[in-house]
Amino acid sequence: MALPQSLRTSVTPPELELIASEQLIDIVPLVTMEKTAFISGAYGPLRPPAKARVPLWIAVNLKLKRKCHIVPPEWLSVESLQDKLTRETSNPGFSELPFRFAEISKVILDIASDDLENPDKIRTLLKDIREARQSKSREGISKLDHSELGLSGLCSMEINEIRPFFIKGMSVLTKLIRDPEHPPKLDET
Amino acid sequence: MSGIVTANPGGDTIRSVAVDPYSNRIAVTSDDKAVKVIDLQDTKNIVLLEGHTRGVRRASWHPSGTLLATCGCDGKIIIWDVSGAEPKLEKTIEGIIPTVIDTTRLQNTVMTVRYHGIQPGNTSWWPRGPTVQIISVSKSTWSKSTTYTSGDLSGAITALCLSPNGAYLASASKSGVFIWSTQDRKIKYRFNEPQVATVTQIVFSPSSNLLAWTDMDGSLTRWKDPIPKDAPSPHEVQKVEQTIRSRARAVLLGEATDDMVDDAAGENEKGPDFDLDDDMLMDDDFVVDDLGGGMLDDEPEVDKWKGEGVREMVSVTKAQPPFKPGATPMEGKRRYLAFNMIGVIEATDQDTHHIVNVEFHDKSARKSYHFTDYFKYDLATLGERGAVYSCPPDGDHTAHVAYKPYGSWATQGEWTYDLPPGTKVIGLAAGGPPPRKSLLSKSDVDIQGNGNVVVATTEGDLTFLSGGGVERWLMGFEGEFVSMVAGNEWLFVVFRDGSTSMDGSQNLKCQLIRFADFTVVQDKRLPLLKGHTPKWIGINSDGAPCVYDSAGHLHVMHHFSIPGRCTWARVLDAQRLERRKGKGETYWPVGVTDGNLMYLILKGRQEHPGWPRPLIQDLPLCMPFRRTDPKEGPMEQQFAIETLHLDALRDALGPDELASDEIAAKELELG
Repeated sequence: MALPQSLRTSVTPPELELIASEQLIDIVPLVTMEKTAFISGAYGPLRPPAKARVPLWIAVNLKLKRKCHIVPPEWLSVESLQDKLTRETSNPGFSELPFRFAEISKVILDIASDDLENPDKIRTLLKDIREARQSKSREGISKLDHSELGLSGLCSMEINEIRPFFIKGMSVLTKLIRDPEHPPKLDET
Repeated sequence: MSGIVTANPGGDTIRSVAVDPYSNRIAVTSDDKAVKVIDLQDTKNIVLLEGHTRGVRRASWHPSGTLLATCGCDGKIIIWDVSGAEPKLEKTIEGIIPTVIDTTRLQNTVMTVRYHGIQPGNTSWWPRGPTVQIISVSKSTWSKSTTYTSGDLSGAITALCLSPNGAYLASASKSGVFIWSTQDRKIKYRFNEPQVATVTQIVFSPSSNLLAWTDMDGSLTRWKDPIPKDAPSPHEVQKVEQTIRSRARAVLLGEATDDMVDDAAGENEKGPDFDLDDDMLMDDDFVVDDLGGGMLDDEPEVDKWKGEGVREMVSVTKAQPPFKPGATPMEGKRRYLAFNMIGVIEATDQDTHHIVNVEFHDKSARKSYHFTDYFKYDLATLGERGAVYSCPPDGDHTAHVAYKPYGSWATQGEWTYDLPPGTKVIGLAAGGPPPRKSLLSKSDVDIQGNGNVVVATTEGDLTFLSGGGVERWLMGFEGEFVSMVAGNEWLFVVFRDGSTSMDGSQNLKCQLIRFADFTVVQDKRLPLLKGHTPKWIGINSDGAPCVYDSAGHLHVMHHFSIPGRCTWARVLDAQRLERRKGKGETYWPVGVTDGNLMYLILKGRQEHPGWPRPLIQDLPLCMPFRRTDPKEGPMEQQFAIETLHLDALRDALGPDELASDEIAAKELELG
């Protein structure tokens, strides 16, 4: 692949999105469907207008064919995100967000923004939250240790971002701790 | 004279003075562009309201004392909010009154602000139009809501006044002094002597039946008893407004205007229109009313308001009029005609006709459609196979029922059923077995048949028609119809056996009538507390009838298929829900399926769902046991609900079977 050496060991964002799509989400189906077996499991039956809980990938599929309406999860609302943002900016730690919130919110905003109230506000809030967390993770990395990286509350995409760096960094530090006389040679990265 | 409040140094003519309802402040309008609001206690306290570009004509206060309306020569009506220390411009309305250049002539545009007691919060303002129109502007929407016109009027209207109770409007113009009724916007009475001089100001007496006016000749005329004795008086507040507003009623017809006319004037219309109207104008005084009024045609319609003699105030429980579950009254030209688990029928009023829009929840099974409706259907229902509509008699056509089946070949199966003149439809139901295949695909008629349509008419009967339009049966009705809903195999009817009681009971009974052989499977009373009414009835996915009442209780009929053995199981208590705590919301049921109540949330004081269409929520049913042990409690409640479902399944089995796979599986789950 056309990725630089350091990134070849980690996951790409589209792959993370695929993994996140396995999570269950509520939809309001517009068509009837019996209980169908898929590779990952059997889902259904779909009986409009009752809500149903299906994996995100089924929801995306149906939504693109205009066969359902997606019910956004409770954390994906203006009030909830506003609350998280204020907590993010006031506390030094990371606020509690669902582990794959970035992927799920991206998918929902892309295909189902009409099912959200005020999608633009949600987009700006998400961006603000991401920036706040990014600055915190940057500071946290400076406290990198040979044995642990204490950043609790970090989410999937963010971990993926810094993964190549801190893996390499930790390995260097470990070698340094073991043998301070002979520092290891660093590759061109 | 106790003092000078203000004077205009510029020499501008002062056009009008208005005192606020609490007698604290006065608003002075003059040819000076600013309106002065002066505090009577401290005349130095003057607030200037800037906004008009020309002289200001008249000012008028809102009864609450917070809003002031002014109209000016620049054609603008400006509403000011003067409740706080700083006045703010609330709204500018243009285009209603014309700009007037000539300031000398008395061609006024006058405004009277009056709290229109019928609908709380809907203040009507009366700016007068160019010549012969009196326009009423609604406070909630700030737009022209109704117009009062008449052929008898000619010449500019120079003075206006509302009667103290809001029932009459007096107008004075070149052609004379007229009194209009605010309900029907028609002229009721006129002063017999011709008007020579222009009337400058006209006013109703606050405490007696008297109208007075002054004119340019300098004379004051007093007209005693302008309203004849047998019509509602202009100053007595109609007591009906308070009592009826406090009861939550399902109002069937929102177009109250034509029918409210007669009620306001005290005449009692015969026929079910009386019951279907906005209840608010039925007078509590009449003992006759407890029988549901117009349902019984034996009372002659006129002379209800006999002025002679003492009228006794007997408070009998108001009988609930026939209602259609899932329908809302016309609000802002739109209404829901039906809202159930199959789909939604919406109607939009375009004055000469309605546009009816039918949408289904399950888009794979049925295709949504819309059509123009010249008959102004007021009742509609969505059955499994087709939609039924009915319209009231109107001028040239009698009442009729129209059936439009679903499916792409729909027009072949459509039929209409005409009723004889004078008969009206008060209830509709359509039911039948659900289609086996999707109705979108062309197929021959299902062997199960096309279902049944039931019509309840004012002739006191239930007419059963087959899905193909053939009349099958006429069943005489044993009481006053209240509501009905049809399921796959039977019809669930709610009616009143006798009359309401004095202490708040509606005295409702219900019957479950089988379509196949018209036998009564169940005949039971409804589990209603005194003082409460049913708000919604329906049939759940098991086929059991359900009732939701104004107390927030949902009851499902247990063992409904065993004749004579049914009971009502209470499966939900909306007052005690966890999610309800701290929120002022009510629920509007749409259906009951599979252990869940499907409903719409109504916030605050909302009584009916509005637009855009709210999302259907679901709530799991749980028997409201009182001892709620956190560990065992929910399980026991769940067990009860499952038992209900299982019993329905078991009852549905034939005589030979002992259990089916489904039942066995469920029993295993429960154990």
